[in-house]
Amino acid sequence: MRATCWMGKQHVSVERVPDPEIVNARDAIVKVTSTTICGSDLHLYNGYVPAMMKGDILGHEFMGEVVDVGQGVKNLKPGDRVVVPFAIACGNCEQCELGNFSCCENSNPNSWLSEKMMGHATCGAFGYSHLTGGFAGGQAEYVRVPFADFGPLKVPSTLTDEQVLFLTDILPTGYMGAEFCEITPRKVIAVWGCGPVGQMAIASARMLGAERIIAIDRFPYRLQMARDQAGATDVINYEQQNVQEALRDLTAGRGPDACIDCVGLEAHGHGLQYAHDSVKQKLHVQMDRPLAVREAIMACRGAGIISILGVYVGLVDKFPLGTVMNRGLTIKTGQCHVHRYMKPLLDRIERGELDPTFLVTHHMNLNDAPKGYDMLMRKQDDVMKIVLRA
Amino acid sequence: MDSLHAYRSTLPDKPPNRAGLARGLGAFSLAVGATQLVRPRAIARLAGIPHGPVTTTVIRALGAREVTNGVGIFARPRHPFPLWARVIGDAVDLALLGLAVRSARRTRYGRVAGAALAVAGVMALDVIAARRAARSKVTQPILYSVTINKPPQEVYAFFRKLERLPAFMDHLESVTEHGETSHWVAKLPIIGTVSWDAKIIADHPGEEIEWESVPGSKIKQRGRVTFARAPGRNATEVRLEWVLGLRGTPANEELAKALAKPQAKGDLRRLKQVIETGEVLYSDASEHDKPYPAQPARHGEHKHPRMFVSNPPTARKGGAS
Repeated sequence: MRATCWMGKQHVSVERVPDPEIVNARDAIVKVTSTTICGSDLHLYNGYVPAMMKGDILGHEFMGEVVDVGQGVKNLKPGDRVVVPFAIACGNCEQCELGNFSCCENSNPNSWLSEKMMGHATCGAFGYSHLTGGFAGGQAEYVRVPFADFGPLKVPSTLTDEQVLFLTDILPTGYMGAEFCEITPRKVIAVWGCGPVGQMAIASARMLGAERIIAIDRFPYRLQMARDQAGATDVINYEQQNVQEALRDLTAGRGPDACIDCVGLEAHGHGLQYAHDSVKQKLHVQMDRPLAVREAIMACRGAGIISILGVYVGLVDKFPLGTVMNRGLTIKTGQCHVHRYMKPLLDRIERGELDPTFLVTHHMNLNDAPKGYDMLMRKQDDVMKIVLRA
Repeated sequence: MDSLHAYRSTLPDKPPNRAGLARGLGAFSLAVGATQLVRPRAIARLAGIPHGPVTTTVIRALGAREVTNGVGIFARPRHPFPLWARVIGDAVDLALLGLAVRSARRTRYGRVAGAALAVAGVMALDVIAARRAARSKVTQPILYSVTINKPPQEVYAFFRKLERLPAFMDHLESVTEHGETSHWVAKLPIIGTVSWDAKIIADHPGEEIEWESVPGSKIKQRGRVTFARAPGRNATEVRLEWVLGLRGTPANEELAKALAKPQAKGDLRRLKQVIETGEVLYSDASEHDKPYPAQPARHGEHKHPRMFVSNPPTARKGGAS
């Protein structure tokens, strides 16, 4: 089959690789009908995530048709149309019972590696380095899906691929970030980063009843989408405005009640701090550039909530912990517990309360994945979400 | 081998070796080493050796060695290794003094003899400290634990069927039970295929299993697995204590432990997987013993789990929100 492989820093190519087969009894093989490139794939593309290997198949947002199941899978059969959560969860361990699916204790065969780096293991995930298990990803024609009796969600044929594809990651992720904010109408929510996850967080905050949502980015087309389609009430372009001053002004001195970081480890900015972080990251003395989260912490209202959705992998410097402590901020974060949100969000899509299709700006053939990565990295042609089809 | 039960208590059963002598020798190493590095000529004069460029270099090198030993002792004052390194260093010093006497003309024999006596005296102290450290060093068992989301009785029952252990203990080829004893065959890295006989010496259903290799086994070991209810829920805290020794030197034992510890950790993790999810999960990369990219293996090269226990998921989908 054809698959998008990571070949090195800023180098992906579509290669011929063996077709996947059933290995574990609870596996299924899914023929991919639609897949997409995630903003977090760019962190792999740009070489910021450790434990990548030449030939790793990328992609963690995919859906398709079941073509084969192992003897342990009773609830799926060939022909079923499913969306597959990016996080792999067993459904049996205590964390899964508690609903913390991205902390599953059994789905990461390389748990020893992530234990060394992170203290305790993370769950397994598709196409996201050997730290999350070394599972082949979904930017391919076929994918082997472990614990298929638990993860994949069957979707009705009345909905199009574009309507449900984002249930695999960005929609639940954005929704979880909004849910973290304990939204009531009086709460002002600020969202850093208007990429796809940011758009979904804004749309979810809107759906959960926030009256004022402030979107922050540097690309006018992204800010425009945030305001016109996702539902932001105000936008700040950080290349033209001072974010702290603008937020203070928009909230009459209070600061936003909750801040969502949808940026992560490759944050941009300007001035000395950005230069300093960039140099440190280049020299590998710091793995992440935490500019957005720093800014969010400083801006947040006392006793407010910092919701972190952007991906961070390691150690950061100059983290304003003193502000967090003295002003009683709460930090909520995590890889999305996708399994928890898929079904309720599917129901909302079916009822027409939510339509994530506005994110799709491009369609491409799987063969053009390398072009897609490059385009997404350079933010060319007002790109937001690229849907790949085999 | 000492009783395993001694390791269970949080307080050591022996008064700790305070390592005063070792620390003193460490300080001595640092002081002498620093002087040798900074004032090599003064040292040469003191030892009665005529100094020249070669002597200076040699004394500086010895100084570096002394500082290394001193740091080593302070880092692990109860460990015999850096102390034995000092003993070897003393022997080298004595040999060098002898060499200096034979090769130089203007040697001051009185001072050299004094220096040799001093080195011999310290050497005696080094031997005493090293032996003391070696004696007080108990063989620490491999300790590892894991929580399994099933009641203790169930986890115990799974484990007690020894013939099932190779399903998650990667290095085991087979286990055959013959009444009280059992025959184990394992394939180990470097060493190859080995087998031994073991006997269960304590067996309390739902609580613990303790075993020991029978006398004469090539692989000498004693181990214990305990099963205890985790606080507030019907899950099991499984704890493994395992003393392992190939017959022979303590170094051998250290090596065995270094090889076995990651194995034991992996085994317990896989035990948890098998009991909770029914099988050991392989990823496209972890299917292979060597590093392999995250892409499917060729047909026929897949590694399949050795067992699958049908075990429907206990959790329900879609919890919160």
